[in-house]
Amino acid sequence: MTSVTRERVTFGALVAGSLAAAALLDDSALSLYVLLLLSAIVTVGVSLVMGHAGQVTLGQGAFYACGAYTAGVVATSGLPPLLGLVLAPLAAAALATLIGVPLLLLRGHHLAFATLAMHLIFLSLVGEMTITGGDVGLQGIPRLSLGAVKLDSIRSYAYLSCLALVGIVLVTKNVLASRPGRALRALSSSEVAAASSGVPVGRYKLAVFALSAGYAGLAGGIYAFHMGYLAPGSFPVLLSIEYVVMAAVGGLGTVSGALLGAALVVLLVDALSRIATMSGMPSTAPVVLSYAVYAVLLVSAVLFMPGGLVSLIASLRAKASKARALARSRQRNIAVGHDTSRPETSRHGSPS
Amino acid sequence: MSAFLSYLVHGIAVGCGFALIASGLIIIYRVTRVVNLAQGMFAVLAGLTASSMLDLGLPHGLAEIAATIASAAAGVILGLVAIGKRGTSPEASLIVTLGVGIFGYALEILIWGDQPRSFAGLSGLLKISDLELPKQYLLIIAVTLLVFGALEVFFERTYLGKTLSACASNPGAARLVGINVTRMGLVGFALGGALGGVAGVVLTPLTPVSYDSDMPLFVNGFAAAILAGLRRPILALAGGIGLGVAEAMVAGYAKPSYQSSLALLLAITILVVQSARRSSLHVAEQ
Repeated sequence: MTSVTRERVTFGALVAGSLAAAALLDDSALSLYVLLLLSAIVTVGVSLVMGHAGQVTLGQGAFYACGAYTAGVVATSGLPPLLGLVLAPLAAAALATLIGVPLLLLRGHHLAFATLAMHLIFLSLVGEMTITGGDVGLQGIPRLSLGAVKLDSIRSYAYLSCLALVGIVLVTKNVLASRPGRALRALSSSEVAAASSGVPVGRYKLAVFALSAGYAGLAGGIYAFHMGYLAPGSFPVLLSIEYVVMAAVGGLGTVSGALLGAALVVLLVDALSRIATMSGMPSTAPVVLSYAVYAVLLVSAVLFMPGGLVSLIASLRAKASKARALARSRQRNIAVGHDTSRPETSRHGSPS
Repeated sequence: MSAFLSYLVHGIAVGCGFALIASGLIIIYRVTRVVNLAQGMFAVLAGLTASSMLDLGLPHGLAEIAATIASAAAGVILGLVAIGKRGTSPEASLIVTLGVGIFGYALEILIWGDQPRSFAGLSGLLKISDLELPKQYLLIIAVTLLVFGALEVFFERTYLGKTLSACASNPGAARLVGINVTRMGLVGFALGGALGGVAGVVLTPLTPVSYDSDMPLFVNGFAAAILAGLRRPILALAGGIGLGVAEAMVAGYAKPSYQSSLALLLAITILVVQSARRSSLHVAEQ
């Protein structure tokens, strides 16, 4: 099997598996599943920006909130909800383009601070405006309907999130395999070298920033219809940081890393909060545990596995296949009968 | 007393707190090239520790000093995690400080719960002709001036201070003359922790702190540090006071909820203007 077909088979299996999960899980597991899928959508974008455009972004939650509020405001003002879902990613991408022009002049810790600041400013604006319901929040967002089909069960939102995730994974894979994708890889290692080879660095960085914001906006739009209620408190700064944790744990710059990271973090935090809400635990236990998990995962991922889970798995697999190849060659040597130069083979494998 | 003067004094006092946080950020940044996203945690930690110490019956003064020492110790621990591992890039360290800051949330909730805590500072007003100044504000200003004076003496007159300056201006050359740059980085983190701690103990009587108060404190401190160009701690005093006064005026005459957005916008604008002047080649050289 060539690597392209193998990748296609894996992708197909993943799509089938995630749709099957949406069909088979019960309602309580489904709401966690929707959360997982939405986080994965945002994390793919974060991973793209951080891994390929080489930028630290701590404000992705603001684009998620922007998408959610766009969908919510459109749907509550009497327009068709589907329009809200379509506008959600567009509004988030437009916002990213607008603020990306000045912000992407910054690098490293300056950009990290600026994106964090953007998230805080966005929250304070949303809390002030009457159209978004202020600090009280936006209530009574109608359910999404596609033509005659009304999406009013959690399961339908799980299917919708699955479709959205598959869509953005396909878009990301294709973008990365294209000429601009290669240019992005070049600029993430050296902007000066990329610029001198003719890569329009500023424009590409902005495009990736906007694309990833669009992903977050789409996830936010689905979230708005899924929850039916939005408030500034639903989008704390920690949300932006969670996405960075997921991307870093999985491995920056890879789609599979983003999916793996999102799944691992969401499931781990859920499992721990189940333990923490068992009887006999103090009421603050769930919060304490989830903060501790984010912190420990983030620090250990950054310090001890810079490539994330994906590169860890790849290096383990490479080691295993090397060991297998070695074993095979030894066996062949034994079968042929001529002794090898390796001392350990001759010690316990010689046919004499 | 006119409203303007009371806003002004309030702005200066709060701005002094920002300046203390900013100076800690600047020292850590200058010595290690790491922007410490957990700088606000030091202030929160010290404020909470001081309130517990006072509850235990320690007298004022002693409790605040103990809290400052505790946050300096937290600074050393943060430094060990952030720069202790060889070959950690400043960008990676930035994310590590973020992670340690979140770990601080977990510890703080575990020890003090998630409700805001405070303690009484100096009460009463000081009357100078027809001016009435709250004594706590004056205390904050006095403590800040004292700390900045001490910092100036430390960096100009002491061997350790000069060693830190050497690491800040050229780490490579500092290493060549036999300075352990990593150890000096830890000293920088300890100093940053202590400065954040001082800010926490003087500000907590004004506004109660809870575990998540670190974000506004960090943001304002960073904005003040940016106003100072992330260079000398003493410039941060001007930056912090300027920011504090501007915010107090916005809160007084416009809307209180706009004040932190103002600080953020100001900081972002300065950053963008600065970086627009630099070419990318210039950046690549650094």
